[in-house]
Amino acid sequence: MSLEPNSILETLNKIWREELDNESIVLNDSTTASDIEDWDSITNIQLVVATEKFYKIRFTAAEISGFKNVGEMVRCIKKKVG
Amino acid sequence: MLFNSLKFLIFFPVVVGVYFLLPHKWRWAWLLGMSSVFYMAFVPVYILILGFTIVIDYFAGIFIERSTKWKRPFLIMSLIANIGVLAVFKYYNFLTENINLLLHTSGVTDSIPLLSILLPIGLSFHTFQAMSYTIEVYRGNQKAERHFGIYALYVMFFPQLVAGPIERPQNIIHQFHEKHFFVPQNVLDGIRQMLWGFFKKVVIADRLSLYVDPVFNDYHSFHFLNILIACGFFAFQIYADFSGYSDIALGSAKILGFDLMINFNRPYASKSITEFWRRWHISLSSWFNDYLFQPLMIGARNWGRFGTAFSLFFTFFLAGLWHGAGWTFIIYGSLHGIALVYEFYTKKFRKNLSKKIPSFFYQNVSLLLTFGFVSIAMIFFRAHTFADAFGMINNIFSMNNSNTYKWVVGAGELTFNHFSWAISGFCLLLLFITEKFTSPDLKSLNKFPRIDISLGIIVFTLILIGGVFNQSSFIYFQF
Repeated sequence: MSLEPNSILETLNKIWREELDNESIVLNDSTTASDIEDWDSITNIQLVVATEKFYKIRFTAAEISGFKNVGEMVRCIKKKVG
Repeated sequence: MLFNSLKFLIFFPVVVGVYFLLPHKWRWAWLLGMSSVFYMAFVPVYILILGFTIVIDYFAGIFIERSTKWKRPFLIMSLIANIGVLAVFKYYNFLTENINLLLHTSGVTDSIPLLSILLPIGLSFHTFQAMSYTIEVYRGNQKAERHFGIYALYVMFFPQLVAGPIERPQNIIHQFHEKHFFVPQNVLDGIRQMLWGFFKKVVIADRLSLYVDPVFNDYHSFHFLNILIACGFFAFQIYADFSGYSDIALGSAKILGFDLMINFNRPYASKSITEFWRRWHISLSSWFNDYLFQPLMIGARNWGRFGTAFSLFFTFFLAGLWHGAGWTFIIYGSLHGIALVYEFYTKKFRKNLSKKIPSFFYQNVSLLLTFGFVSIAMIFFRAHTFADAFGMINNIFSMNNSNTYKWVVGAGELTFNHFSWAISGFCLLLLFITEKFTSPDLKSLNKFPRIDISLGIIVFTLILIGGVFNQSSFIYFQF
């Protein structure tokens, strides 16, 4: 499992596409929920759970509510796995 | 003080005039003083309740920020103080009545005494706004406010003190520190939004209430079509009443140079209940989302889809209770909770269905079903008792026609007559068209000055000829 930020972003991209059933999703560091249709407060937690399962990590409640964009999540994953 | 009163018509220009004449360093004191006058026009002594929570939350904010070890206890202390005030003044009697009922049914003759107190106006709004502050300081999203007067003003700012929008500290506190100049464009935008709010309140909401009140007060005497129309009218009445209040709040704050958050965005254009709650009372639904639903979902995320369904239902159960201490409000919230759980579980099915059915048909049926559900659920919001609500729903669905249908409803000066039908029909059409093109804040009218002026004249004329000037309170004041 590569932990380069770009590789994490690619993995998240796959998870997002699968969970939101939308093949056109392209994530980058500054992507937020408002940029993607169907990414709302409910699906957000499904995305978090799928990410946790894939990387076998556990985010804290403060981390989850503190993510401002995808980039912050990528950095948090890198810190936890690396 | 009511926005739709003569007192406010004198109060507000004086507040604005003196505010801009005063040097910046004294303006907070003027606004705080005038906000106290505004609040004390209802029950003066209740300002002590506000004072109590303001002092607690002001110090809690500072201690939460300074401490590392005691952050959480100080937050919990602040939450207990706010919820405690709500519990005593709003929920004590409801809880006690139900406990007494349980005791009596199990043979106990003694009763726990009830409190003889009036509900302080806007209590649910300002306690929620206060809790938002300490939670955001705890989360590190807001610096603790050191200026006591500015913090007090955050809770007491008169445009949104008694019926919202329930502001967030990040949006408003910094605005109290900034210097605001007299900007003619702000005055124009503010007056336009206030006029629109007055129009919605006195022409639409208060006129529709002439039909709604007699039917809800004595539904046994009405044909099922009268009851059905009253339910639809109530949905429009409460929207015009509450969003009208928000318009006046946003407009009056704008004139003073402040931007409050948008509270409504054409909720009846929603095609699902999920969408409805993104458009209706946005400051409350986002409050529940940020401070209850999200933490619940995060905590229950290992429960899978059931965790989400549980969090949705529980959040809306409490949102119902937020509105009022009564079973009818709990049912109102729970019905919305059940609808949201249904939408959560059927999301994929509905998405696939929408691809198979012509879009125009699917969208419009969804819109009608959503409005129908919202109107029926609102029977519980408006009905006096649980039995009344069920009786009305039963009469609608069994098409009870034991009474004759009445075109004219009410009696004396408070009759909903043919003039009311005509004026309400025209004004609802005007509301629909105007908000379709200008929602959420009418500012897009700045690009079309001729339409802007014409609409202003029409609305002003409609207020004069179609307004119901009985200075009735705003529905949400009771919360």
